[in-house]
Amino acid sequence: MEKAKISAYQLFVLIVLFELGSALLIPLALDAKQDAWLTILLGMVGGFFLFLVNYRLFHYYPDILPTEYMQKIVGKSFGKLLAFLYILYFMYMTARVVRDFGEMLVTSAYPQTPLFIINALFLLVIIYTIRKGIEVVARTGELLFFILFLLGISGNILIVISGIVDLNNLQPVLEEGIMPVLKTTFTQTLYIPFGEAVVFAMILPYLNQSKKGKRTGVYALGFSGLALTLVVAINISVLGVNLTTRSQFPLLSTIQAIQLDNFLERLDVYFMLTLILGGFFKIGLYFYVAITGIANLFNFKEPSKLAYPMGIVILILSITIASNYAEHISEGTRFISLPIFLPFQVIIPVSLLIIAFFKHKKKRGK
Amino acid sequence: MPPFFKYKKQKGHTDQSKDTRDSENHHVPELIDPSLSVNLDIIKQKTGHSSDIIVRTIITGNTPLHKASVVYVDGLVDTQAINDSLIEPLQTNHDLLEMLYQQDELDKFTKEFISLGSVHPVTNWDELFLTLMSGDTIILIDGSNKAWSASAKGGERRSIQEPSTQVSVRGSKESFTESIGTNIAMVRRIISNPDLWIESMKIGNVTRTDVSIMYINGIAKTEVVDEVRKRLKRINIDSILESGYIEQLIEDQTITPFPTIFTTERPDITAGNLLEGRVAIFVNGSPDALLAPALFIGFFQAVEDYYSRYDIATATRFIRVLAFFISLIGPAAYIAITTFHQEMIPTQLLIIVAAQRDSVPFPAFVEAIIMEIAFEILREAGIRMPKVIGSTISIVGALVIGQGAIQAGIVSPATVIVVAITAIANFATPSYTVAISARLIRFLFMISAAVFGFYGIILGFIMLVVHLVSLRSFGVPYMTPLAPFIPKNIGDTIIRTPLWAEKLRPRLISSTDNPVREGENQKPTPPKSRGMKKKNTR
Repeated sequence: MEKAKISAYQLFVLIVLFELGSALLIPLALDAKQDAWLTILLGMVGGFFLFLVNYRLFHYYPDILPTEYMQKIVGKSFGKLLAFLYILYFMYMTARVVRDFGEMLVTSAYPQTPLFIINALFLLVIIYTIRKGIEVVARTGELLFFILFLLGISGNILIVISGIVDLNNLQPVLEEGIMPVLKTTFTQTLYIPFGEAVVFAMILPYLNQSKKGKRTGVYALGFSGLALTLVVAINISVLGVNLTTRSQFPLLSTIQAIQLDNFLERLDVYFMLTLILGGFFKIGLYFYVAITGIANLFNFKEPSKLAYPMGIVILILSITIASNYAEHISEGTRFISLPIFLPFQVIIPVSLLIIAFFKHKKKRGK
Repeated sequence: MPPFFKYKKQKGHTDQSKDTRDSENHHVPELIDPSLSVNLDIIKQKTGHSSDIIVRTIITGNTPLHKASVVYVDGLVDTQAINDSLIEPLQTNHDLLEMLYQQDELDKFTKEFISLGSVHPVTNWDELFLTLMSGDTIILIDGSNKAWSASAKGGERRSIQEPSTQVSVRGSKESFTESIGTNIAMVRRIISNPDLWIESMKIGNVTRTDVSIMYINGIAKTEVVDEVRKRLKRINIDSILESGYIEQLIEDQTITPFPTIFTTERPDITAGNLLEGRVAIFVNGSPDALLAPALFIGFFQAVEDYYSRYDIATATRFIRVLAFFISLIGPAAYIAITTFHQEMIPTQLLIIVAAQRDSVPFPAFVEAIIMEIAFEILREAGIRMPKVIGSTISIVGALVIGQGAIQAGIVSPATVIVVAITAIANFATPSYTVAISARLIRFLFMISAAVFGFYGIILGFIMLVVHLVSLRSFGVPYMTPLAPFIPKNIGDTIIRTPLWAEKLRPRLISSTDNPVREGENQKPTPPKSRGMKKKNTR
């Protein structure tokens, strides 16, 4: 664990950028059709719960990383195994998000550039950043958050004034009852993007005012949840359910629909590029926690030295993870939720909390 | 023992080895001899009989044995003052002097005869030469093992002139000169407060340059002052010729195109920064004062922003930041759009640009790089060129390169426009030092745009931001107060809030004990009796 501190506001910014990072990009929660926005809201509530579980664990062990407190909670060898599995999970997720963005770029702007090159460049920039430590990542976040925020607002204004929003597309609400909504929530939106905040269990120990962590986290999740709800609702209301479901990148299609005065059109390239900023933080944070985890677990003194070798591993993983985009995206939204997301984001943290709770009670009893 | 290990061993105890080296250099102070002729011989020998060392020996008593010598460096002193207040009294008061000789009270000598401002006794040679070479006049008296050093500095210097690089429409028209004394006095004239503290030291083993640090006690952060002092003391170098030497030796990070120390030639900018808690460093012989810690946003704050109205100042700051971005990624964006993302241009414009580029044999990148390099050469030549032939450059630049290149079909008119706008935008940055770094980074952006279009630009931009936020200036993050975000200090960044709303000094820069810089209710309000509102006043 490096000697660094981040402020509550920086944590807020990092959580928001992380949550929105790739969730804005990929087709999300569309199994629930026009009720997708509702599943995101429900997922957000679940996300609060999961974050509070992680926060509670942090509260029990405020100065050490999860990779270390796992060993204290469930015993040395089993805890180490668990920590190692978590590191693998973080690495896998890093590679996934790199692939998401690489595919997006190849599909929408650079059809003749190999995915490998695009991913390699992106990872190079991320390695450069990660080597400078979490403080620099957080400060970069503060600066770029401002830019993304302005861009998001201007995008919304443009969509509204170009008159392409058709709220009828959002009706009927709950056409087939609540069941499809709940099902999508528990198979998708709870995990992507809200459950992914388990990453911040690794970041919380860096917070300079640990008491503010709970509030900041909940606010940040709430903020990003609402923003995401708005975006998904706008996507569906502009494109309609059918088009949104078929689009590879719904947000880009929506932006593409903006046409103002024959001058402001084809803005999707700008937005695609600014989405990269969000992706940068998502990948960066996953990568950062993977490296800190390894350094912590294997007692490696200088985590920054791991950045290059790990970068190569991630790069190869991001290419070999799936043979094409369709496979990649359906893996992500359908197949890996139960075997990967459920244990790593829900089951393990909750059971760790239960054990830790009883351990602490016992200690206090004595 | 091989030298490699020797070196390694020393590295472990740098502080210790430095101390011993210092004491070796500093040879044991040789005391001044009572005999005048011996002393004069030593002076002549040490200065190599240099012709500008003037030795004037005067018979001061009734017997020719009682002699005194006045030694000074020609050109560094005020000869008139020396004649009137030193030599003349010594020549005319033989009787009084004789009395002092007999009473053996030569110490009183200074009190009685020398009517110059500051006089102090000197007993060892090191000090004597130091004061002599910095322009003081030395008085040696036969029979005394003490010398007196009197300050009558003078000589030719450049007078105070208008600032040449940090010009402003409104505000003082003074700029610093090469003389450190004048510069310090100019700031002192603005801040008439005993809390304005100055510490002086000599840096440079050969040049022995005067360096002073100036700060306001109670406003400047003690840690920063200590850090500045520590870094200056650490310098062990032959010569300090300009403040740029000091800057390069004390900055936080050397591998960066961005300046982490602010330089200014204006006393009012220096005063304003001192009042925000910064530390100023003056170097004799340099008309540029250094200010630390510097923030990135500080390089976009022109002095006039504070003198003019806040709304206008805010607007001009927006323009400056915009201009900085244009000068950074202008040509890169042009290359990216014409090579990769043609769909981003509206169709009409696309047709025009395509028609122009139709006859050009090079890709956009080559075109832009040709024009950029041509422009950089023009600019560099324009700075170094003798002023007499200065007009040639505008003719060559405008006609031959601008028009000729287009007519010859080497570059397209659109490229020339982009390069020209970029060049002008580059001059809109108030600080030359940061404008020059944008100039350098622009080429990296152009290359990345040529290879990867906007993706390359965005990645370059991220790297630039990461680099900027990772910089520190004397411990203060470079992008403060944007990152780390300090809401209370955001009033003086890209926007400038009215003066009455900026109640606090910058948080990370000034001392935390004393953050308030203005009283409550400074917002001016019109008198209540005036105007349409009559209801509330009875």
